[in-house]
Amino acid sequence: MNYADYINLAINGLVEGLLMALPALALTLVYGLARFPNAATGDFVTVGGFAGFGMHHLSGSLVVAGLGGAAAGAAAALAAYWLAFRPVMRRPVITLMLTSIGVGFVLRAALGIAFGHEPRAFEMPLQRAMRFGDISILPADISLALLTIVVLAAVFVLLFMTPLGRSLRAIADDPDLARVSGIRRERCMVAMWAIAGMVCGIAGTVSGVRTVIYPDAGWNLLLPAFAAAVIGGLGSPVGAVLGAILLGMLQELATPWTGFVYKIAIGYVVMVIVLLVRPQGLFNRVQKVR
Amino acid sequence: METYVLTIAIVTGIYILLSLSLDLQYGFTGLINFGLAGFFAVGAYTSAILTMKTGLSPLLSFPAAALAAALLAWPLGRIALRLRDDYLAIVTLGFSEIGRLVLVQEQQYTEGVRGIAGVPRLGASWGTPRFSEMLLLGMLVLCIVGVVLFLRRITHSPYGRTIQAIRDDETAVRVLGKEPAVFKTQVLMLGGAIAGLAGAFFAHYMTYIVPDLFLPLVTFYIWMAIIMGGVGRLRGAVAGAVILVAFTEGVRFLRGVIPGVSDAHMGSLQLGIVGLVLILFMRWRPQGVFGARGAK
Repeated sequence: MNYADYINLAINGLVEGLLMALPALALTLVYGLARFPNAATGDFVTVGGFAGFGMHHLSGSLVVAGLGGAAAGAAAALAAYWLAFRPVMRRPVITLMLTSIGVGFVLRAALGIAFGHEPRAFEMPLQRAMRFGDISILPADISLALLTIVVLAAVFVLLFMTPLGRSLRAIADDPDLARVSGIRRERCMVAMWAIAGMVCGIAGTVSGVRTVIYPDAGWNLLLPAFAAAVIGGLGSPVGAVLGAILLGMLQELATPWTGFVYKIAIGYVVMVIVLLVRPQGLFNRVQKVR
Repeated sequence: METYVLTIAIVTGIYILLSLSLDLQYGFTGLINFGLAGFFAVGAYTSAILTMKTGLSPLLSFPAAALAAALLAWPLGRIALRLRDDYLAIVTLGFSEIGRLVLVQEQQYTEGVRGIAGVPRLGASWGTPRFSEMLLLGMLVLCIVGVVLFLRRITHSPYGRTIQAIRDDETAVRVLGKEPAVFKTQVLMLGGAIAGLAGAFFAHYMTYIVPDLFLPLVTFYIWMAIIMGGVGRLRGAVAGAVILVAFTEGVRFLRGVIPGVSDAHMGSLQLGIVGLVLILFMRWRPQGVFGARGAK
């Protein structure tokens, strides 16, 4: 290992972190407004991945694939909200969590029955990595990272610079105060689920392009996304993104010592340490226990 | 036919132990353990490795399996129980997934994905495989009776009233001067021990264990069992385990009857049904069929 290998790992980690930031952001948005860790997040990602794969197959365009993934992710999230989550919204958190596990299982089963369990790869032209000395970068990684950054930027503009975003943050901050201020909660919920679903769907397409897509793909992304969101502080969008990037780079840089299998474990260990030392997350203010 | 009945009885017994473990944790105490499969795996691997590598008698390796699972529950409790409920779910789910990675990676002990083959049957030197299965079933029944009596006793004691009070109103318990985190850690360890014991039975019954036997699906099978059977009642846990076996066997039966359905499709279908059951029960009957009225 020389310095170039570490830089290569760091670049790879950055791309993986950006990719992980999308489901982590979706998790944290749902947590902020609906107040439960949504275990179906990963399966929204898978739905988006399959839709993106299908659109890419039909059109050959990555942009169309991304749009298709986003639309399918949003559709899955909204359907889950209306059919499963909304009827139990005011119940204890365990009810919502088990419901989300159920939603995830149903989505995964539907995908498994419809498309089978063979991993599918996007038909992409083979590209030569760009080399700068010993450092090599895949052009596809650059475009995927840029795409992810654009999506993240769009979500943050929406959250912090539009009236809808202000309403969403107000509800996350204090639901009662938001209600007496005349914020229409239901409209915000629908918007939030649509945004979370879109973000997941795009994540599915991006991760499908980078690797392969199969029915369990999203579930395997869930734990790292949980870890990233908890590290950043559940409910904090900025924290989720920073947590994901931090975790992505840490995971990659640690592989020379820990081996490939334990990559996911690193996220978990970091999450546990953060929970012990700073339960509110690295980038969050102190949380109220409601 | 006789073999089939024996198999069903043993599998049901193992599910009953797991359901009792989860019912103690969730039904009575309100702890959200999404890592039950992890404790089950720890028990199975502990007993398998001890009997095979050190030649320990199952009489000692079964308690060791329970102990190992209980000890692993301790740090989890320390980490998560000071935080809100939902963190325990994330931490335990992560624990079971990471546990599976450890089983895959630490090959010098666990044989990795190839799994441990030839875990000794109980009393293998005294008789036929049939005899050792009967022996295992006998021990299993004894253990279930023991666990049920024990749980009945503690749930009807001041201790049991305290943990149920924690489930219903944690703040009130704290105001009364009891520390919920202590009780929760104890319950987590006790439940872990029961799941570990179930794992030991499983390993010596299957005689061949691989990490993929301990997927999170196992955890949610048991969740489905206690939710269908009834939360916060021991008889609910037993009923749920029976329903669960009827379900898994029913799916297997269907696979034989319907032509042209692949195993993968059946697996997906099974997953989908578990998911649907969770959604529907959570919405319409969260306390289960025979659930206690006071339970969440």
